[in-house]
Amino acid sequence: MGQFYRHAPRYGVGLLLLAAYQLFQWWFDTRMRLAINFATAGRSAQAIQLGELLVAAALAGFVVRVLSRVAIFNAGRIAEYELRKEILERLLKLGPSFYRKMNTGEIMSRVTNDLAQVRLLLGFGVLNIINTGFALVSALAVTLPISLKLTLASLSPLPFVLLITRGFSHGFYTRTRDNQDALGKMSARVLSSVAGVRVVRSFGLEPQEVAAFEKTNQAYLDKSLALARLRGALGPILTATISIGVLVVFWYGGSMMLRGELDAGGFLSFYRALGRLTWPLISLGFVLGLLQRGRAAFSRLTDIFSAIPDISDGDSELPAGAVGRLEVRHLSFSYDGRPVLDDVSFELPAGKSLAILGRTGSGKSSLAVLLARLQPTPRGSVFLDGVDVCDLPLATVRKSVGYAQQNAFLFSTTVARNIGFSLDEPDEHEAISKIEEAAREACIESEVLDLPDGFDTVVGERGVQLSGGQKQRVALAAAFASEPKVLVLDDPLSAVDARTERAILSAIDRQRSQRGLILITHRVSAAAHCDQILVLEKGRVVERGTHEELSKNGGIYAIFAEEQRIESELQRLGGVALDDQQVAE
Amino acid sequence: MNAPASPTRQERGRADKTRTERILKAFHEEERFGKAYDARLTKRLWGYLLPYRLLLWASVAVILLTSVGALVRPLIMRSAIDGVVQKGDRVALLHGGLLLASVLVIEQLLGLVQMYAVQVAGARAVADLRREVFEFLQGLRLGFFDNQLVGRLVSRVTNDTDAILEMFASGALNAVGDLARLFGIVTLMLVLDWKLSLIAFAAVPPMALLVMLVRRNIREAFRAIRAKTSRMNATMNEQVTGMTLIQAFSRQHAAASEFDESNRSYRDANMSAIKWDSIQDAAIDTVAAICLALVIASFGHRAVSFGTLVAFTAYLSQFFEPISQLAQRYTLLQAAMAGAERVFSLLDIVEPDAPPRVGKPPGDSALAVELEDVSFSYKPGSPVLREVSFAARRGERIALVGPTGSGKTTITALLLRLYEVESGTVRVFGDDVAGLGREQLRQRFAVVPQDVVLFPGTVATNVAACEEPDRARVEDVLGRIGALDLFAARERGIDTRVDEYGSNFSTGERQLIAFARALYRDAQILILDEATASVDSDTEARLQKALEELMRGRTALVIAHRLSTVQKADRILVLRKGRVVEQGTHAELLAQGGLYARLHELQFSRAEQESALQSALEQVPAE
Repeated sequence: MGQFYRHAPRYGVGLLLLAAYQLFQWWFDTRMRLAINFATAGRSAQAIQLGELLVAAALAGFVVRVLSRVAIFNAGRIAEYELRKEILERLLKLGPSFYRKMNTGEIMSRVTNDLAQVRLLLGFGVLNIINTGFALVSALAVTLPISLKLTLASLSPLPFVLLITRGFSHGFYTRTRDNQDALGKMSARVLSSVAGVRVVRSFGLEPQEVAAFEKTNQAYLDKSLALARLRGALGPILTATISIGVLVVFWYGGSMMLRGELDAGGFLSFYRALGRLTWPLISLGFVLGLLQRGRAAFSRLTDIFSAIPDISDGDSELPAGAVGRLEVRHLSFSYDGRPVLDDVSFELPAGKSLAILGRTGSGKSSLAVLLARLQPTPRGSVFLDGVDVCDLPLATVRKSVGYAQQNAFLFSTTVARNIGFSLDEPDEHEAISKIEEAAREACIESEVLDLPDGFDTVVGERGVQLSGGQKQRVALAAAFASEPKVLVLDDPLSAVDARTERAILSAIDRQRSQRGLILITHRVSAAAHCDQILVLEKGRVVERGTHEELSKNGGIYAIFAEEQRIESELQRLGGVALDDQQVAE
Repeated sequence: MNAPASPTRQERGRADKTRTERILKAFHEEERFGKAYDARLTKRLWGYLLPYRLLLWASVAVILLTSVGALVRPLIMRSAIDGVVQKGDRVALLHGGLLLASVLVIEQLLGLVQMYAVQVAGARAVADLRREVFEFLQGLRLGFFDNQLVGRLVSRVTNDTDAILEMFASGALNAVGDLARLFGIVTLMLVLDWKLSLIAFAAVPPMALLVMLVRRNIREAFRAIRAKTSRMNATMNEQVTGMTLIQAFSRQHAAASEFDESNRSYRDANMSAIKWDSIQDAAIDTVAAICLALVIASFGHRAVSFGTLVAFTAYLSQFFEPISQLAQRYTLLQAAMAGAERVFSLLDIVEPDAPPRVGKPPGDSALAVELEDVSFSYKPGSPVLREVSFAARRGERIALVGPTGSGKTTITALLLRLYEVESGTVRVFGDDVAGLGREQLRQRFAVVPQDVVLFPGTVATNVAACEEPDRARVEDVLGRIGALDLFAARERGIDTRVDEYGSNFSTGERQLIAFARALYRDAQILILDEATASVDSDTEARLQKALEELMRGRTALVIAHRLSTVQKADRILVLRKGRVVEQGTHAELLAQGGLYARLHELQFSRAEQESALQSALEQVPAE
């Protein structure tokens, strides 16, 4: 637990403060005994003097106690903050092989639940372990001088308190987990019912749905009541156990008083010292349970921050006057032993355009991500201005080779910041004009201006919902705004209508004059805009040439072309496109 | 579009920066916290507690009883101690000790019963509310769901109701007992010795002031923690989801610093809570100690029994206990009210599904379905169906054909009255659908949608569309569509679990389950929206056979994409832009040489191209 050592000074201060606090407690109890004895003996002046001292001690104790808690709990929070920061920084470095193994839900669960366990251990846990030790010493320092026998007798139930809370701690953990599972099942049921509402309505399944839901609802009710029973039982069981100690003090201590072995002040301070021990011991029971879970949680976190990134920086540099000439030589690639690309070669001179055409599963998207090293590109296969991309720093490669993915993803921030995602200062004048220019180029500007706050409208998961086509065009604008030397567009037209398609294609034509362009597509009409076309099938280049050449030779490209002509004819006969408001996603 | 005088966005550059930040800031104010107490909401919530009011009243009674116990305990201590000190009464001491212990244990047991009673009442009331919300969703019209985020609706049923439950689980009701106890403590102390009480209470006003000040800060801190937690988790979730994009644009540093900001403010919010919480926690202990010191100091002056002193000490520690919980309870109450507000505003929506109305006079009952001048639009101004009229006789098989967006699926939705017609009449067996109960209407249909929806459960529960399927019948229908062997081959047969979204079944298998579901239902009219996805030839053959079985002896409306299906139909309706433009048999329509003939020709040549492509691709060597 490196976090613990890193914050050793903080914990050290906390430790000293806790020791000081328990010292105050001891002092308070012993002086209180004296004061009471003075008072009962009629020496009121001395009693009052001591009383004043006690008030002062209580106030000093207040400050020390606050500081000790702040020191240790803060150390726990700071450690949590640093762990979380480290985890995220690691996540940002990790490549696709990691994300294939661990999905977003799993990562989130570890970063929230497991980290919370670790933090509890580092804050609450540490505080209690230290504090219980000191409290025990401080309480014994009060009670032992009074009577060894009374101390032993009254402390006898305390080990049971420890055992009981430890058991409860485990019970709470498992029942809380069961409770969460039941809640998860219920949510899943609601989700499927709402997502499948059309079928539910069509079949008149409402009563069955309510019955199925009610089952999960009842199960959740049962689980939460099971948790409530445990929660409720802890108090009585603990009190019953602790009250045995109180009973002992009263009975045995009382008879000692009667025999004159114990004075009134001693009785009261003994009673108070015993009371001070109760809470620390109860907490200690919980901490013991926490210790085990915290360790398991920590090892689950280790899976993340000890994962090795599969793509790393190279240390060469691009030659001066690099223009963005891209070359792919005999590139072969496979996922988990399944080959996806086989001996692909091509060259893209600076400022030229290339279309890669293929059906779903032909390997065209895999090729797109390998160019910018978003997957572990094999060494010696992709060259930028003559330098192997594996020898270049990742930032250089990705700045030069821009990539717009097929499933456009938007962050929950403003449209402007989504488009200006690659810009360091998206709010500066220069950036704003660049963003607006990019939006215009991607044919999204007028629609953005129609949004409630224009470019400042928050979109994404939690913001205003854009249609699939709009999202794709915002992503395209973001790619334009990043101004790479080579732009790789993965099927940028899969969700836009014909009119927008034409507008975007002409924008792409204009972009071509500024940068090299690789267009991944399944549409012949889009590929026709490019200087050169590769047809990919089963990971191999099966045809290559210009649109004119390929259309004439009667190969696969020509068949694609004819098929798509028929498709668009069918579309045209339909007149209007599918009413997209009809289908609720 | 823009007025000429309005400044361009660039000219507003600087102002925009703050504007962007303002909008983002407003956006990140995740949860608006309203009042902790809202009479209207409380009254409405009370309605759900009514059936369990006996539990609640009993629990209030028990709370008051345990408060009495807590008040009596110090008195027992006093008399026992005084008995010893003043009279040397050893038996009184033993009795006092035993009495004290039993009061304590009884008090705790009663406390357990009471806490549990409140939980039961609360949890049951919330479960009832949850059921009501779910049932309410079942009664909303389909159009309502078209523009709703699924996640938000799920939240209404789960998270928001949970916030209400938490209010009961946390023991907020105990505040009643705390108040009663506070009152009792003050009274008893005054009665025991009013002068000593006044000295003891001397420390209370400054402490009350401190606690009040701290409490507001704690409340604020808890509120901040809630908001920061959800923002931090949302940011991380989003960054992990958009990781490819971040890496593609080399924005790791920007992403890290954005996350750091939310991580840091989460940490700071927590540290602020720690500070105030520690102050409150220590303040309560300290004030008890100070009071004790004051009482002891004055004890020297005045003739007060030692027992009274002990009782005072005990009362003082009881006095400060409940204060420490006020802040947490307040935030929980706020969260509960916010949850209730959201749940109730959903329940207030009035958009019933197929509400019964007075139907138009019955038509010809020999016609299974009949549309008369039906017009419809999902969005005003963009009509999807325009004055469509057609009818299907009982037992007739009709194929609906037309390009995407021509209104085929909409027609089937209107037959089931999933949406309301704008004008015109839809009749089923002669009855106006508007006049039929929704169950009465929809039980006449079996529907196979284009995208198959599978529910959590097993193959059998999905076929039967209920939790207790008639297994023999499930096997029978699966057998009749020739799919029993497919599912029987699985380890658990028809009891095979269906994973989320049916991901453990192939497209063809999911189709067959949907077919079986329709056959199990055995309705008079079949509506089938043929899937466009291509399946392997074996599955295709199974589906064709299953379709034949499914249509046997039924009126069938099929939205057809396969030529073979179209050719099997008794009549073909060709739709275009929301109108029926042609109808007749396959042969008749081909002879007419209209839209159908053209569509057919295109489909045919597309199929030709497809097979040409297949043979061309077969020449590409496999790896």
